[in-house]
Amino acid sequence: MTNTESLENVVLELRRGVIVLAALSQLGSEQYGYSLLKQLAELGMEVDQGTLYPLLRRLEAQGLLVSVWKLEEARPRRYYVISAEGKKLLPKLKKEWAGIVSVMDKMLA
Amino acid sequence: MNLINRYVTEVGKRLPLLKGREDIEKELRSTLEDMLEDRAQKAGRPADEALEIELLKEYGAPQTVAATYNPQPYLIGPRLFPFFLMVLKIVIPIVVTVLLVLAGIRAATETPFMGADFVNIVGAGLGEAFSAAIAAFGNIALVFAILERVLPDEQIDDLKMEEDWNPASLAAEPDPDSVKRGELIAEIVFTFVGLAILNLYPNILGMGFFMEDEWIFIPMFSAAFFAFIPWINATFLAEILLDIYLLRSALWTPLTRVAKIIIEAAGIALAVIILRTPNIIGFTGKSFANSSISADAAQTLTTVFTIMFPVILIIVIIVQGIEIAKAVYRLFKAKYQTR
Repeated sequence: MTNTESLENVVLELRRGVIVLAALSQLGSEQYGYSLLKQLAELGMEVDQGTLYPLLRRLEAQGLLVSVWKLEEARPRRYYVISAEGKKLLPKLKKEWAGIVSVMDKMLA
Repeated sequence: MNLINRYVTEVGKRLPLLKGREDIEKELRSTLEDMLEDRAQKAGRPADEALEIELLKEYGAPQTVAATYNPQPYLIGPRLFPFFLMVLKIVIPIVVTVLLVLAGIRAATETPFMGADFVNIVGAGLGEAFSAAIAAFGNIALVFAILERVLPDEQIDDLKMEEDWNPASLAAEPDPDSVKRGELIAEIVFTFVGLAILNLYPNILGMGFFMEDEWIFIPMFSAAFFAFIPWINATFLAEILLDIYLLRSALWTPLTRVAKIIIEAAGIALAVIILRTPNIIGFTGKSFANSSISADAAQTLTTVFTIMFPVILIIVIIVQGIEIAKAVYRLFKAKYQTR
């Protein structure tokens, strides 16, 4: 494994843990997968579609998101939104994240 | 859109049927159509096949995309795997042992311990044991693979034993090189008793009964068996000496493990030679001709002894084989760890 590959793998692992929080934070209002993907990218978080779509389904299975199919522009789209349970979890996740950032800032200073 | 439809169908073929395949296909199609529309807008031309090809190539091969929806493609997942191993460790040794003992009994009763038939039966028994072990492994794996797919997650979680686990229940970690004194003492006592019987009281190995106020004794073993006594003595004495040395030193060393392997191997060789020597049992139905025992009962007694002796020897061989395997394993493990 080359250094570039190692770096890519580590970065991928780092981002993987953050995507859940990123997705939950952006789903306060209904969004379909592709619109969420674009929104995350606009905010600076490029997420692979192969990661995001299965993640959305998993979060829904865990009860943190709810989804509904809507017919728009002659095309059915699946809209996701944070569930009541997800809303309860989000502040806790944010707090955890703040803690991690604070610890890591100290470590890396 | 023709290519997108074909692509979605290809992905769908690789998705698990029961986990929302249709729903995933529908969402994938909708996403790809959105993406294609975006690209067409950016390119300033209507969506065409070239754009579709570019998009699909970027999105990834159907099998790769399907795999993202099935991130744990285990035959037996990590939650069930410990139970799978536990069942294997119980079932396979039992199946193999039962088949080997049965083969041993068959070899002992259906052949005169010599010649091609004996080797054939023992060979077939080993083959059957091996096949049965593979079949048992396959069947257990199949059952667990089905359980992995049909058991709800909560039920698999219920199988976990972590919550009941108490660190206080941890036994002191045994030192693989420390000797087990109880085992050694028992081995010395039994080997010594065996030596004493074979050398000092061979007359208790047999059947005695009163016949017209006269004690009649029929020895169990023939002279052919007693010809092996010096060799049996040598292995038994070596075993006792090694055990005494181990009791004093309290630790296994590579040298004592090699000694153990040699003694056990000698024991196996001796047992096999005895097993294959004809007419080891000293009496036949005719030996009871002058007794009050009926001809049928005498024949039954003879048969029982003729079967029992080889069975006992086969068990001895298996036990010694296990001892050798343990010693070899420890020897190589110690060697590996010191590197």
